[in-house]
Amino acid sequence: MEEIRIGVYVCWCGTNISKMVDVEDVAREIETLPYVVVARDYKYMCSDPGQDLIINDIKKHKLNRIVVSACSPRIHELTFRKALENAGLNPYMFEMANIREHVSWVHTSREDATKKAKALVAGAVSRVRWHNSLDKRFVEINPATLIIGGGISGISAALEIADSGKQVYLIEKTGQLGGFAAKIDLSSPFMYSAPQMINPKIDKIFKHPQITVFLNTQVEEMSGYYGNFTTKIKTEEDHEVELKFGNIILAIGLSTFDPSVIENYKYGKIPDVITSLEFEQYLISGKILRKDGSVPKNVAIIHCVGSRNSNYHDYCSRLCCKNALKYSNLIRAAIPDANIFELYSDMRAMGDGCEELYSATSRKNVMFLMFDQKNGMPDIREASSDDNCKMVIEMDEKLSGERVEIPADLVILMVAIEAQKEAKKLAQAIGISMCGNQFFIERHPKLDPVATTTDGVYIVGSCQAPKGIPHSVAQARAATARILARINVGHVEVEAATAKVNEDICCGCQTCISICPYSAISLDEEKQVSVVNEVLCKGCGTCCSACPNGAIRAQHFTDTQILSQIDGLLEKSLQLQEGLL
Amino acid sequence: MNFEPTIISFLCNWCSYTGADLAGTARMKYAPNIRIIRLMCSGRVDPTFVLESFKKGADGVLICGCHPGDCHYHEGNYKCLRRYHFLKKYITQLGIEPERLHLEWISASEGKQFAELINSFTETIRELGPSKIKNVIETYT
Repeated sequence: MEEIRIGVYVCWCGTNISKMVDVEDVAREIETLPYVVVARDYKYMCSDPGQDLIINDIKKHKLNRIVVSACSPRIHELTFRKALENAGLNPYMFEMANIREHVSWVHTSREDATKKAKALVAGAVSRVRWHNSLDKRFVEINPATLIIGGGISGISAALEIADSGKQVYLIEKTGQLGGFAAKIDLSSPFMYSAPQMINPKIDKIFKHPQITVFLNTQVEEMSGYYGNFTTKIKTEEDHEVELKFGNIILAIGLSTFDPSVIENYKYGKIPDVITSLEFEQYLISGKILRKDGSVPKNVAIIHCVGSRNSNYHDYCSRLCCKNALKYSNLIRAAIPDANIFELYSDMRAMGDGCEELYSATSRKNVMFLMFDQKNGMPDIREASSDDNCKMVIEMDEKLSGERVEIPADLVILMVAIEAQKEAKKLAQAIGISMCGNQFFIERHPKLDPVATTTDGVYIVGSCQAPKGIPHSVAQARAATARILARINVGHVEVEAATAKVNEDICCGCQTCISICPYSAISLDEEKQVSVVNEVLCKGCGTCCSACPNGAIRAQHFTDTQILSQIDGLLEKSLQLQEGLL
Repeated sequence: MNFEPTIISFLCNWCSYTGADLAGTARMKYAPNIRIIRLMCSGRVDPTFVLESFKKGADGVLICGCHPGDCHYHEGNYKCLRRYHFLKKYITQLGIEPERLHLEWISASEGKQFAELINSFTETIRELGPSKIKNVIETYT
């Protein structure tokens, strides 16, 4: 039996941790624990000098277990595992204690936070003692990619991957490609023609030998894992097709808010109250006319319809302000003497060229009126016969503090951008997470913005959050770069922490077989014991908890490891508590 | 000196642990009594983990997993739910108040809900007072 020699490293994270946790005190106290050979504190453990500290200590002190007490393991566990590997130690001989996200950032008493940090590190030390070496496992990657959604994001990703010579399956639920970008005329703020941008790409997709397009098709279920996914789809012609691929890009795009739920706006009741999407159709047809065929003299554009309002969506839909400004410009060009009103709650025309568009618009005799989302929201009513307009909008103008009436013949509602209705079903089928607003959630909002928590599944475009064409294209290409780099390597690393059956203890009751969500366990008929297929096992550990004999080990989350962690945590917690009395 | 409970919490890696991280990233404040243990799935919560926690002196145990239908491993949270109901009855028979064990679904985006949950659960345990089971075990063994 090798001698256990543990090194513990407590990170300051600049002042992020050290401000609330006495890191030096933590290191001092942890150094007294059994098996701990060295315990240090350092400014930034994740930095190169921080990692070198660990690597040098492993060599100098013959350490064989490492604990880093810093941020969330979801951020830097892999960083430190690599450092262990560089020092010649198995990467699984490592445990992290999260004293930033779970301690220094959420507590207000330095004394309590320091005590809690000590307990968490003690738990990690107690656990790491029982860690075992695990071997990395690789499987070959299928070079094909499945892309769900044929909008600008899906199209951009498909072409990028296919042009590198790899197979793409592009699935679109409607009968045509192009998505939302195909429903608009000019894109804001630079007024490029959207059809001119997107149509040549669509042509190229259909002609591309490496791209297979399935229109009017939806994905219902998904099986397999990173590198080797499988799905069955029903094609337009009602044929069942099985597709195999190594990576998935979700590009299902956006949907729009139904404004009829906001009673003030009378959408669906007054015919000339229309949505921004309907107005795009007017622009494509080249005619800005009322339903009765007359030219509107007064046009009102209402912002934030369903956005930034706690009754509907709290978030900003991001594209509406710049589109509303685009409309004012186009209306001014088409009907030079029209009165144009923009009713906004905050002008958020941010991004390249948008502020310029805002100031250019404000010089074109467009009246900007501000309203409050809570009090005095615009209220539309049909005008009486003595009014010189078709509708009247009444609202509290926030800047002047006055109640005003605005004449209108045409009202355009800048409707909020929403997640697609089928997003949730798809998220569940594929096994990725969503935010509260039904948009897909990325693996890390800053450091990993197009990946998801499921390896091999990427999210691009507005299915992640409302965004315009340039950002969607950028995300699509970011995801393809990730995928192509992986395909180039040829194989992917799969979960090493799988379940393992101890054949001597297994009684062959098959409880584990009935509960494994991946059908990864089968019965060896001859020996009458369960066998885990390591390629299929994802290491959730459910079988281990269900085994009545304790014959299954969830590697890296073994009973001994978790029970020791509980021991370490509680022993230290209670010690510290009693010390106070 | 007021009683400050010690609470062990088992969080699944994909939803609840990430939700707890989000509470941190958003600098939400909550009671410092919780000690988090990360598991890959709430389905890994072995009944012995809960019993051992009480035995070693935890005043409360909190289990969090993904919302129904959202489990990263399809259905581990349902397995956890079944064990939870079993454990509630079992600890009651052992003389531990069932309120000391709690299960809640926390998604990766529910940092606020996580912070609120920790505060409310800590308060529940604070009102219940120290768990007596550790002393009982020490007396009889």
